[in-house]
Amino acid sequence: MSQSDDALKNNRVGPVMRSGEIANAVVEAAEMDNPDKEITVEDKNAYIRISVDSELILTRESIEECLGRPFRMQELEIDLSSFAGQIESGTDYFRFYFNSAV
Amino acid sequence: MALLDRSDWYDLTRTTNWTQKYVTEDEFFPEALSGGRGIPNSVWETYDEPYKVSYPEYVETQRAKDAGTYSVKAALERAAFVDSADPGWVSTMQAHYGAIPLGEYVASIGEARMTRFSRAPGNRNMATFGMMDENRHTQLQLFFPHANIKRSPRWDWAHKALRTNEWAAVASRSLFDDIITSRDAISTAIMLTFAFETGFTNMQFLGLAADAAETGDHTFASLISSIQTDESRHSQQGGPALKILLENGRQEEAQQLIDVAIWRSWKLFSVLTGPIMDYYTPVEGRQQSFKEFMFEFIVAQFERQLLDLGLSKPWYWDILMRDLDRTHHSMHMGVWYWRPTVWWKPAAGVDPEQREWLEMKYPGWNKCWGKVWDVITDNLLNGRESLTLPETLPTICNMCNLPIAHVPGDGWDGRDWQLEHEGRIYHFGSEVDRWCFTINPEQYKGHQTVVDRFLAGLIQPATLEGALKYMGLGPEEMGIDAHDYSWIEKFRPTKSAAA
Repeated sequence: MSQSDDALKNNRVGPVMRSGEIANAVVEAAEMDNPDKEITVEDKNAYIRISVDSELILTRESIEECLGRPFRMQELEIDLSSFAGQIESGTDYFRFYFNSAV
Repeated sequence: MALLDRSDWYDLTRTTNWTQKYVTEDEFFPEALSGGRGIPNSVWETYDEPYKVSYPEYVETQRAKDAGTYSVKAALERAAFVDSADPGWVSTMQAHYGAIPLGEYVASIGEARMTRFSRAPGNRNMATFGMMDENRHTQLQLFFPHANIKRSPRWDWAHKALRTNEWAAVASRSLFDDIITSRDAISTAIMLTFAFETGFTNMQFLGLAADAAETGDHTFASLISSIQTDESRHSQQGGPALKILLENGRQEEAQQLIDVAIWRSWKLFSVLTGPIMDYYTPVEGRQQSFKEFMFEFIVAQFERQLLDLGLSKPWYWDILMRDLDRTHHSMHMGVWYWRPTVWWKPAAGVDPEQREWLEMKYPGWNKCWGKVWDVITDNLLNGRESLTLPETLPTICNMCNLPIAHVPGDGWDGRDWQLEHEGRIYHFGSEVDRWCFTINPEQYKGHQTVVDRFLAGLIQPATLEGALKYMGLGPEEMGIDAHDYSWIEKFRPTKSAAA
C-alpha cells in the first residue's frame, strides 16, 4: 500500500482546536464522554488535534465540569478551527463521526 | 423567562421558501444562478446543515473571536515582532496578505449569491453567516498589515494585489472567479465551501498558524487560526448539497465539480503555500513540511471525508500524490528566479542546513532542484547576479495561470500539454489542467494569461520592464532576494577549501 493510501485509510474523527483553555477542557471532556475509546492528542503548538476511531462525542456537561464554569456548546466554535470526520452540532453536545469505516 | 432549546424552533424558522405571486419561480430562482438542476424545491428543503448556529449565538461567538484576536494584536504590537523577524518570515506574511484579503471579499460575494439564490433554505441561512464571516476576514487581513505600511509599501499589497495584473494576482482571480463568482449557488457550495474551505484553507490558516507559532509570530498565528474557526462552520454548506445531488442521480457531476476545484486549488497552493512553508519559514519554525501538512489536512482529513459522503478519489489521485513531492519545488524556483515580478521578497531557502532539511523531507531533492540551485549559487558566488535574473517571461498554463513547471536535473520531465480549440492553441502544465479545460471550454476559452497578453501586444513596451509596469510593480515593490544573498556565504569556505 502506498504512503498516501495508508494516510487515507483511517477512521480518525474529532476536533482540531486552537490551543488554550477550551482546548485543554475538550481533551479532558473527550476522555469523560468517550470512556471506552483510545484518545489521541497531537499538539502542534497553534492547534491541538484530538481524535478517536469512528465516533467522538463532546457534551456540554463534561466541558463545564472541566472548565469549572457554565459553558454554552456554541462557545466551542470560538476555538474549533477544524475537525476530522463529519459533524453534528446540538445545544448540549457535538458529535464527530464517519458513516462507514474503511 | 425560560428559552426554548434551539432545536425546538430551528427547523421551523429556517423554512423560508414561499410561493411567489408576482414573478414565476424561474424568474425568482434563475437556473444559471440557483442551479436547482430540475430537482424539486421540496427536495432542496430537506437540505439539513450539520453545523447549526442561530443569529444571537453567531453575534456572541463572533464578538468573542474578534475580542481575542484584536487583544493579541494590541498586546504584542509594541514588541514590533516584524522588525526582528527573519526576512523569510516577513515575506511569508507579505505574500499571504497580498494573496488573501480581497479573495476573502470575493468569497463574501459568493456567500451572498448563495444567500439570495440557493433553493435550499438551510443553505441560504448558513450562507448569510458565511457572508458576514468572509467580510470579517477581509477586514481583519486588511487591518493587520496596515500597521506595517510605514515599514514598506509591500504591505500595501494587501489592498493592491488583486486589483493589479501581477501574475499571481491573475492566477488567484482566475481560480476565485471559477469556483466562486461564475457558478450557480449549488456549484459554489460544493466548489468553494466544500472543496476549497473544508480542504485547502486548513493548509493556509491552520498549517501556517503552526509555523507562525513556532516562529514566534503569535499575532499572525492567533489571527489566521481564528479565521479558520469561521471556515470550519460555513464550509459545512457543501456536504448537504452534495448529499442531495447524489440522491438525485447527479453523482458524476458532483464528482467533477469536486475534482476541478481540488486540482485548481492545489495548483494555487503549490505556488503560494508550498514555498512559504518549505523555503521562506526558517527551518527551526517549520512544524511540518508542506507535504506533511497536505497529508494531514488534504489526504487523511478532507479526502477521507469525501469518501464518507459517497464520492470517490479524483481520477488523477496518483498524479496529485506524485506532484506533492514536486510541483511546489519548481514553483518556488520559478518565483525566486522571476523575483522582480512579485510584491514580496522571495527567500531562496537553500543554505546548507536548509538543503539538508529538504533532502530529508523530499529524498532526491539534491539530484533535481539542488542541481539548479548549485548553478545559481555558483553564479552568485562569482559575481554573476545577472545570470540569476530573468530577461523574458515563462510559458504560462492556460488553466492555472502559473508557469508550466516541471522537475529539473535528473528527474527532468518537461512537457507542454497542448490543446487546439476553435483554432487557438492552448498550453497546459499538466494533463489535469488540460482536462479541466476540455470538460468545460465555454468557461475558460478566450482568457489570456499575462504572457498571452504580452504576445498579443497588449503590454507595451514589450520588454520585461514593460511587463513589470503592466503588473503594477514599482521599484520599491519588485521582489529581491529576501536575505540579500547572505546565504551564499555559507558555501564560500567550502569552495575555497576545495580550490
